[in-house]
Amino acid sequence: MQASITRLTERPTLWPWLLLTPLALYLAIFFVVPLADVVMMSFTEPKLTLSNYTHVLTGTLYQRVFINTFATALLVTLVCLLVGYPLAYLMTRVSPRTAMLILTLVTMSFWTSFLVRTYAWMVLLGDSGPIIGFIRALGVEQPPRLLFTRFSSTLAMVHILAPYMIMNIYSVMRKIDPVLIRSAQSLGAKSGSLFRHVYLPLTAPGIANGSVLVFVICLGFYVTPVLLGSPREQMIAGLIGHQIDEFLAFGLGSAMAVILLIITLTILTIYHRRFGLDKLWG
Amino acid sequence: MNRLLLSVGVLAVIFIAAPLVIVVPMSFSNARSLQFPPPGYWLGYYQAYFSDVRWLQPTWNSIIIAAGTTVLTMLLVVPATFALVRHRFAGKSVADLMLLMPLAVPHIVMAVGYYSFLGKLGIVQTHLGVIVAHTCLTVPIAFLVLSANLKGFDRTLERAAISLGASPWRTFIHVTLPILKPGLVVSALFTFVQSFDETVVAIFISGRDAATLPRKMFDSIRQEADPVIAVVSTLLFLLVLAGIVAPPLWKSLRARLKPPALATADHQP
Repeated sequence: MQASITRLTERPTLWPWLLLTPLALYLAIFFVVPLADVVMMSFTEPKLTLSNYTHVLTGTLYQRVFINTFATALLVTLVCLLVGYPLAYLMTRVSPRTAMLILTLVTMSFWTSFLVRTYAWMVLLGDSGPIIGFIRALGVEQPPRLLFTRFSSTLAMVHILAPYMIMNIYSVMRKIDPVLIRSAQSLGAKSGSLFRHVYLPLTAPGIANGSVLVFVICLGFYVTPVLLGSPREQMIAGLIGHQIDEFLAFGLGSAMAVILLIITLTILTIYHRRFGLDKLWG
Repeated sequence: MNRLLLSVGVLAVIFIAAPLVIVVPMSFSNARSLQFPPPGYWLGYYQAYFSDVRWLQPTWNSIIIAAGTTVLTMLLVVPATFALVRHRFAGKSVADLMLLMPLAVPHIVMAVGYYSFLGKLGIVQTHLGVIVAHTCLTVPIAFLVLSANLKGFDRTLERAAISLGASPWRTFIHVTLPILKPGLVVSALFTFVQSFDETVVAIFISGRDAATLPRKMFDSIRQEADPVIAVVSTLLFLLVLAGIVAPPLWKSLRARLKPPALATADHQP
């Protein structure tokens, strides 16, 4: 049976190449060439040197931005995990109807444009918003500034990226066989050690998937840090945009873009070797 | 442990829901700034949105660009998906990976590339330029959705048609396409939404003439925090709500309206 199916699908013809060629050509021209253009510009703008790279890799401003980007991405990933894991767990413990409702909410958040969500956080954290209002109502005369700080951009990014984490973890959690948990309990595992030694290892693939995805997307995040963050604590993408838009410094912007690209692709390649890239978005 | 996880989970649900809930009342606010709770309610900003060409033009641009992107993406991706799912050939796994590449590259990197590349072609700040760029970015999603559908396709149905004397072309039109239709629709819908929502590349290449709605919103939030943003946000949010809630509702409604005998008869030959 297996052999006959393979024979049917394996007739060597030109068809697959004919069908694939338009897309391959399109991507070669309109995806690979612009990308190669970025690499080119990083060496040739304004003239052929390595100076863009030495500038970006040794300048204090750039180093600070790179460190800040990594620290932010790490923090966002961690908080996403702290938000996403309990939420996914909650979904496995409530009635199917309630779980469906929570899942719909998460899906809706996922599909809502992140500009809309960024704007919503501007309202929530703004000086005349509900959270500052609540702090005032508690009797604090001079409430702290929340908007346009590292806090506001981090919180909004967590909210925007949390659905990726939740969906990845939930898809693993719902497949866990309850028999495993019950047998561990019957063998005398206490709640804490049951979680540490049985449940957590079983959900590890979901945590890994979600974390890689959130971390990588966060590294290149442009919109939310630019709109909600402190101008003094830029992330890489924001600085690239700044170089292009304000200073027309294509060389420097491209060099930073190439570095960001190399970091992103390195992480994804390591991930691909171990788990397969297609699973990440599956 | 259990109780701790569950109570944090409930807090997390509130955290996810709060920003989605807040934009709707904001759109009816009569405040000139981001005041919440609003001092009073009116429909003034809805009127402002629907009568202001500075908002309507970007909305229209976004619809044209997303529609163009969807057509172009589907024309390229549908044949390619058939090739990759139904045939095995040397270099297939490389091709699979190449199609996913646009997902792996940060959009800001592509924005820099398109800014310069489309400039050389002379189509920066045009609808065509944005469509060309968006098509690359939407290829992976369209491909992932469609290939998942095509992998689950029962090919005995096609073989049955062929064995009954249908030509391959007739089989494709009368058997393959109708069965694949839901997958094609979802794939096209995802492509449309992704192009409609895409912000970073659009900010850099759409310019003034082809400015998309996300670009207009970005500029508006950055510069003046125009209250009309709340209206646009609410409208976009309602579209998402309709898209997610409507299909299951429609299904259950149809199931209820249709007599059960007829519903089962549907599947008879």
